[in-house]
Amino acid sequence: MAPLTIRQATKSFGAVQVLHGIDIDIQDGEFVVLVGPSGCGKSTLLRLIAGLEDITTGDILIDGKVVSRLHPKDRDIAMVFQSYALYPHMSVGENMGFSLRMRDVSQAERERKVAAAAEILGLTPLLDRYPRQLSGGQRQRVAMGRAIVRDPKVFLFDEPLSNLDAKLRVQMRAEIRSLHKKLKTTIVYVTHDQIEAMTMADKIVVLRDGHVEQIGSPLELYDAPANAFVAEFIGSPSMNMLEGRVGEKGQSFITAKGVELPLEAPPPLEPGRNAIMGLRPEDIRLGAHGAPARILLIEPTGADIHVNLDLNGDQLTAVFHDRLELTEGESVGVAIPADVVHFFDVETGERISS
Amino acid sequence: MSAADAPNRRRRDTWLIFIALSVFTVINLMPLIWAVLTSLKDPRDAFTIPPTIIFEPTLEYHRQVWFENDFFVYLKNSLIVSAGTVLISVPFGSLAAYALSRIPRRSAGPILSALFTIRMFPHMLLAIPFFVMGTFLNLIDSYILLILALVAINQPFTIWLMHGFFLDIPRDLDEAAAIDGCTSWQAFRIVILPLARPGMTVAALFSLLLSYNEFLFALVLTGTSTKTLPVAIASFGGEDISSWSLSAAGAIGIMLPIVVVMLLLQRYLVRGLTAGAVKG
Repeated sequence: MAPLTIRQATKSFGAVQVLHGIDIDIQDGEFVVLVGPSGCGKSTLLRLIAGLEDITTGDILIDGKVVSRLHPKDRDIAMVFQSYALYPHMSVGENMGFSLRMRDVSQAERERKVAAAAEILGLTPLLDRYPRQLSGGQRQRVAMGRAIVRDPKVFLFDEPLSNLDAKLRVQMRAEIRSLHKKLKTTIVYVTHDQIEAMTMADKIVVLRDGHVEQIGSPLELYDAPANAFVAEFIGSPSMNMLEGRVGEKGQSFITAKGVELPLEAPPPLEPGRNAIMGLRPEDIRLGAHGAPARILLIEPTGADIHVNLDLNGDQLTAVFHDRLELTEGESVGVAIPADVVHFFDVETGERISS
Repeated sequence: MSAADAPNRRRRDTWLIFIALSVFTVINLMPLIWAVLTSLKDPRDAFTIPPTIIFEPTLEYHRQVWFENDFFVYLKNSLIVSAGTVLISVPFGSLAAYALSRIPRRSAGPILSALFTIRMFPHMLLAIPFFVMGTFLNLIDSYILLILALVAINQPFTIWLMHGFFLDIPRDLDEAAAIDGCTSWQAFRIVILPLARPGMTVAALFSLLLSYNEFLFALVLTGTSTKTLPVAIASFGGEDISSWSLSAAGAIGIMLPIVVVMLLLQRYLVRGLTAGAVKG
C-alpha cells in the first residue's frame, strides 16, 4: 500500500512521442483506471510505472520514492498481464510462490502465503495443476494470486479481463473489486472498456493520444465531462452531439440542420453563440410537443429500449426504461428536461460551464 | 461412388503411401545395407559382379577395426571433439539466440543474415584460414583448434534453430519474471531456458552429428594425436582392394555410438522438431 505519483512523464519511441507530460496523483489504496481508445498510451503508461519501459523524461514516485530508473524487481509492484503470463513449466503453487522464492522467503513462509492467497481466490484445489490444465477464468485467478501473494505496494492490471467471455468478465470484475476492498492496495488498472472503468474505479483517468483528457470519479466524468471527447467516450450508448447555436431568445438550441429544440432552462452561454450540445440518451423525452423527429430504429435490450431518431438529418439515440408503445417510422416530439444539457466549444471541444 | 467404397478407397490409399515410403526408405538405406554386407564379406566376395547374395559372412574385419587399429583412440578423439563442440555451441548459441529474439527485428535481421553467410562458403575455403591461423598459433593437431573450427561452422545453424524457439516464448514471461523479482539473467535461466529445452536438445543433437561426422576440417586440422574416427577410417582403405571390407567395417563402427545416442534421444528429437508447430 502506497501512494503513486506520476510527474510530467513523457515517453518517445524513436521520433514518435506517445506520452506528453502525464501528471497523475494516486492516493494510497485508491483504485485508478486508465481508460482510452486503442493507441492512447494507457498500456505504455502502465509499463512505465512497472519499469518495463524506460521513461523518457519525468518522474514516477511510489510511496514518495523516485523509482523512475529502477529495475521492475526493485519497485515493489505486482502486475497482472492480459495474457496472464503464467510460467507453463511451474505448477499453480510454484507460479504463485515464484516471486517469494526470488526474494529468498523461506519455504514454510512461502507455503503459508501461497495457501492464504489460494484460499482468498478459491484456488486451493488447483495448487498442483499446471497452467495448461486450467480454464481461462482459473488462469486469470492464478495471475491475480501471483500478484497478491507478495503484498506489493501497487498492483498493476493490464486489460486483465479482455480474454474472458462476457459472463465471466462481469463476475471477475466484481471479484477484483471485492479483492481491492479486502486488501486495500493501490491499484492501477488499464482497460479500453468504459463500462469496466465506470464500475470498478474510484478514479478514472481518460487518455487520448498520449494526453490526459480528464481525471475524476466515474460520476464526475459522467455528469460533467471536461470536453466533448470524454463526453462521448464515457457512457453507453454514447452521448448525442449536436452542432448548432443558441437561439436568439436564449430559450432554445438551433441545430446546424435548422431544427429548434426548446430548452427548459436557459443555457450558460450568450444567445446566438455557436456550440456543440451534448445530450445523454437517457435524458431525451418523447411526447406530443417538442421538436419533430422520426423514429428510425427500435432496439429492445430487455431492460431498456434504444430508439434511434432522425432529427432533420441529425441522428440521436435515446434510451427508455419504460416500455413505450412506439413504431418505426412514427413521428414524435423531442423534448429536453432542464439541467441535463452539456455544451462544448466548437473549436476546442472544451466544456462550457455556467 | 457409394458410401461403402470409401473405406476400401482409404485402405488402398494407405497401401499406396506405404509402398511409396518403403521404396524411398530402401533407396535411402541402400548405401548402408551395402556397407553392412561389404563389412561381412571377404574382399573376394565384395567385388564380384554380379554381387553375391549368398556368401560366407565373417566378422574378421570388424574384429580388426575394433581391436587392431586403435579404434578406441580415435573414438576417444571423436568424442572429445564432439562433446567440446556441443558444450560450446549450445550454451553460447542459446545466449546469442535468446538475445537476438529479444532485440528489435530490424537489428536482429542483419546479424542473422551475416551468420548465415558463413554457411554459404564451401568448407574447404574456410578450412584454409583455420589451418593458417592454427599454424600461427601452433595449435595444429590440438583438440581446441578443431573444436573451435567446428563451433564456427556449426554455430550459425544452432543460433538460427534456437532463435525460432525463443521467438515462440512470449516476451510477457520475461516481463512477468522481471516483476516477480528476477534479474535478466535469472529470468533467462529460471523461466525461459527450461521452456526452450526442446530447441536446445535439437540443437545439441545436430551439433553432435555434425561434429562427430565432420571429415574435412578434421583431416586438415588434426594430426596423429588428435585424428578423429572419420579421418582414421578413411585411411584404412587406400588403394588396396582387400581393405575395403575393413573400411566398411570401420564405417559401421563409427555409426554405432551415434545410432545408440539417437535411439535414446529420438523422442526428444521428434518432440523438438514439432514443438511450436501447435500452440499449447
